[in-house]
Amino acid sequence: MPSIELRNITKKFGDFVAVDNLTLDIKDGDFITLLGPSGCGKTTTLRQIAGLEMPSSGEILIDGKIVFSSEKSIDVAPKDRGVGFLFQNYALWPHMTVYKNIAFGLENLKWNKADIDKRVKELLKLLKIEEFPDRYPAELSGGQQQRVAIARTLATNPRVLLMDEPLSNLDAKLRMEMRAELKRLHHETGATFVYVTHDQLEAMTLATKICLLDRGYLQQYDPPLTVYNRPRNKFVADFVGNPTMNLISFKGERKDEHTCVLTCKDMKLEFTTADVLPAELDEVTIGVRPENVLVTEKDGIEVRVDTSLPSGMETILNLKAGEDVMLSCVMIGSVDYPSDSIINIVFKEDHVLLFDGKGDFAASGSVRFI
Amino acid sequence: MKIAFKFKSFFKKPQNVILVVLLLALGYLTLFPMFSMIKDTVTVHVSEARRLQLTAGSFTLDHWMKVLFDKNSFQLFYRPFLNSLVTSLAACFVSLVFGGTFAWFITRTNLRWKKLLSSLFIFPYIMPSWTLALAWINIFKNSLVGGSQGLFTALTGIVTPNWLAYGAFPISLVTGLHYAPFAYIMIGGILRNADANLEEAAQLLGTTRRRMLFKITIPMIMPAVLSTFLLVFSSAMSSFAVPSFLGLPVRYQVLTMQLYRTMDGVAPGQGYAMALIMILISVGILAFNQRVIGVRKNYTTVTGKSSQIALVNLKKGRTPISCILVFLIIMVSVFPLITFALESLIKVPGNYSLSNLTLSFWIGKDNGAIITSGEPGLLLNPALWKALWNSIKLSVVCAVSAGTLGFLAGYGIVRSKGTRLSKIVDSLAFFPYLMPAMAFSAIYLSMFSVRRLLLPSLYGTFFILALIGTVKYMPFASRSGINSMMQLSNQIEEAGEIVGISWFKRMTRLVIPIQKSSFVSGYLLPYISCMRELSLFVLLCTPQNRVLTTLLYYYNEKGWSQYSNGLNLLIVIIVIFVNWLVNKTTGASIDKGIGG
Repeated sequence: MPSIELRNITKKFGDFVAVDNLTLDIKDGDFITLLGPSGCGKTTTLRQIAGLEMPSSGEILIDGKIVFSSEKSIDVAPKDRGVGFLFQNYALWPHMTVYKNIAFGLENLKWNKADIDKRVKELLKLLKIEEFPDRYPAELSGGQQQRVAIARTLATNPRVLLMDEPLSNLDAKLRMEMRAELKRLHHETGATFVYVTHDQLEAMTLATKICLLDRGYLQQYDPPLTVYNRPRNKFVADFVGNPTMNLISFKGERKDEHTCVLTCKDMKLEFTTADVLPAELDEVTIGVRPENVLVTEKDGIEVRVDTSLPSGMETILNLKAGEDVMLSCVMIGSVDYPSDSIINIVFKEDHVLLFDGKGDFAASGSVRFI
Repeated sequence: MKIAFKFKSFFKKPQNVILVVLLLALGYLTLFPMFSMIKDTVTVHVSEARRLQLTAGSFTLDHWMKVLFDKNSFQLFYRPFLNSLVTSLAACFVSLVFGGTFAWFITRTNLRWKKLLSSLFIFPYIMPSWTLALAWINIFKNSLVGGSQGLFTALTGIVTPNWLAYGAFPISLVTGLHYAPFAYIMIGGILRNADANLEEAAQLLGTTRRRMLFKITIPMIMPAVLSTFLLVFSSAMSSFAVPSFLGLPVRYQVLTMQLYRTMDGVAPGQGYAMALIMILISVGILAFNQRVIGVRKNYTTVTGKSSQIALVNLKKGRTPISCILVFLIIMVSVFPLITFALESLIKVPGNYSLSNLTLSFWIGKDNGAIITSGEPGLLLNPALWKALWNSIKLSVVCAVSAGTLGFLAGYGIVRSKGTRLSKIVDSLAFFPYLMPAMAFSAIYLSMFSVRRLLLPSLYGTFFILALIGTVKYMPFASRSGINSMMQLSNQIEEAGEIVGISWFKRMTRLVIPIQKSSFVSGYLLPYISCMRELSLFVLLCTPQNRVLTTLLYYYNEKGWSQYSNGLNLLIVIIVIFVNWLVNKTTGASIDKGIGG
């Protein structure tokens, strides 16, 4: 089960830099998601690994072997890289039956008929589409088409499976189902999966590690929960999580290495941390996840309920503190508040993040309203 | 990155290889001739040497002076030029009014027999452009300029005036009617696809039908109207057969006729100068088209779920209007064929009595008694069989080469979309479409009538006809290639590439089977266009390599109306038969293509 290494990959389309000096180390059997807003270079990165797109410079290694190097003038053809590619629109061949779609690549590899038949039947079973070998793609539902596409990709036994937003054309319920399916497949095949998505929830739930990109730059490359709890900068903090993290700008005043006082028009609070505070505290930002905004009886700060959106399992509150600060808060359980009611909130201890003036993560700790 | 590596990776992609090869080939076959022609406008030609008292091949501005600034310029250039402009503008008007109205009736009212009407309406578009012109002559000709009376005079006794029978009026009308299907396809397409919600929204706001037509429907189709206008205009400007059939009897000259006269005669230099002016006009029209329409087109293609819009109820008018339309369309689409059959059976032209009918022009051994020449009947005529064989051979060769090259061009252009190379090849492949056929063949005549590079003189050979046909019809094929490749997601092919399927196999097993119908259309369009082409071949054909259409022109020049009518009927039948056959077997059809 091969590893994939990208070294200083840059891809330019004319003057536009799609991927900027990306270095990434993907271990055997990882399930990596490339996550980011549209146009961040994630699909380009995936296509470069497959060999469908040629990087402008850099090096790509699969299983320790160089498959692309601008320095050494190496460019291995896609078919010789041992990768499978699952396309966003499935790209099933519309004039071939399901069976033929899966078998076509194997026929091309000159497998004998019996082996092909065995392999196709195996895959039909694995993907639970045994009933449809003679149907044409147009006669299948979206979910079934997706399964055929996966079977076709797996047919040649690729050790690396590259997937480009494969679930984005499915409805919400099917998407949930297929997510579980993909995780099972990852486990059963033991292959290395690289998965492109713009859906942060999908990235969170599937991946062993998330690679978050923005405008061609690598923002963070960590396991999902680390990305969630310890975002490296404000972009990551804002991109991951729904509802998004509450980000409030403050002017800071240093008391000692671990304590400072933060003020803005509507709030004043004291931030304490075990980390060492940065020297510059003029413009800082506090980040609190909505589930870490807690409603209490006393302490804390008074806020006004703007809207309350109960969904049964949880309730999302949009709160207004003072004149300008909007906060969102997620409460577990069936609760509801009338609009314009006044409640008390605190931020959960040890779950408050501090970002410095450049937007980079600086410290995490607790706050006390003063 | 190292240059050699860059070079190698560039040519590793099949689309780049295709584009580079096409760039070189098309550059040589379109741009180079263009320059060669520009040079010819300032060079003394052999046939002009004595008149100009200069040695052949030396530099002269005489051609341009004669065309533009001489006391005879008005006769030579300006008047024909004005005539061309007037008839082309009038033709645009006719085709837009006729085609546009028809499109509206079909898509927006509860007209009867829509399906039948729609397929009959397309007919003139499939037939050769001069079909209607010949029919017009059959019906309305008079004996004022020599020759015999037409059907109309024979039936009513009224002698048709010259303005009705020949010249500007019938040229404009007939050309307009020929291109009306084009207006119908373009405007009808938009009316059919446009989101009915646009009109429904207006309806809900209480807009009246009339106001809706002028404030919403017409503005919506304006871009289609404009592109139809420009295409019809440039096609009409470059048409040769119609004006020469209808104009010659009264010496009504248009620019293409002047081209033919000067280039086939003693002053090719002047002809090239005029041809250059025609090309500049076409290129200007295209540039205008792209600038003005290119941007605006976008909003019209926004299609929605076209829910069934409430059709205008014609009420009491429904049946009468349907009948009138059926009658009109039959007059334009079917009646001409009947007149051809009739005219080909008449012994003495102008006499339509039963006793005057004969099959002699089809199967007679020798018609010397009637037309003062030992010409055997059409079906026994070796000249016809030779021309038929030539036509078929030429059309097949042109269709195969233009179709294949056009498909490959479409493939390369779409796969490398956005690159400069792709844009250049795209324009180069489309360039021949803009070249008036007559001017284009004039260039080839000038360029290949002498030894060039490795090629011997090609004048009078089959090869030069095949070559020019291939280049001239490539735009049809490359357009349909581009359209079909645009519809085909790149991923379809990449899914094959990643499992190691070779390029050739990806083409033959994946791309072509999936796009079968438009792939075949790419061959059908050049085939049929070639079969009915006259102006492109008329300068290049010699009696040895005549094709059906130039034989028709020859008969017409000789005034053997029975032969020209019979032959025309044959050509129409062949074209329609092939179109029908291909349509039935592959689902491809000519009306899916662009104008011509």
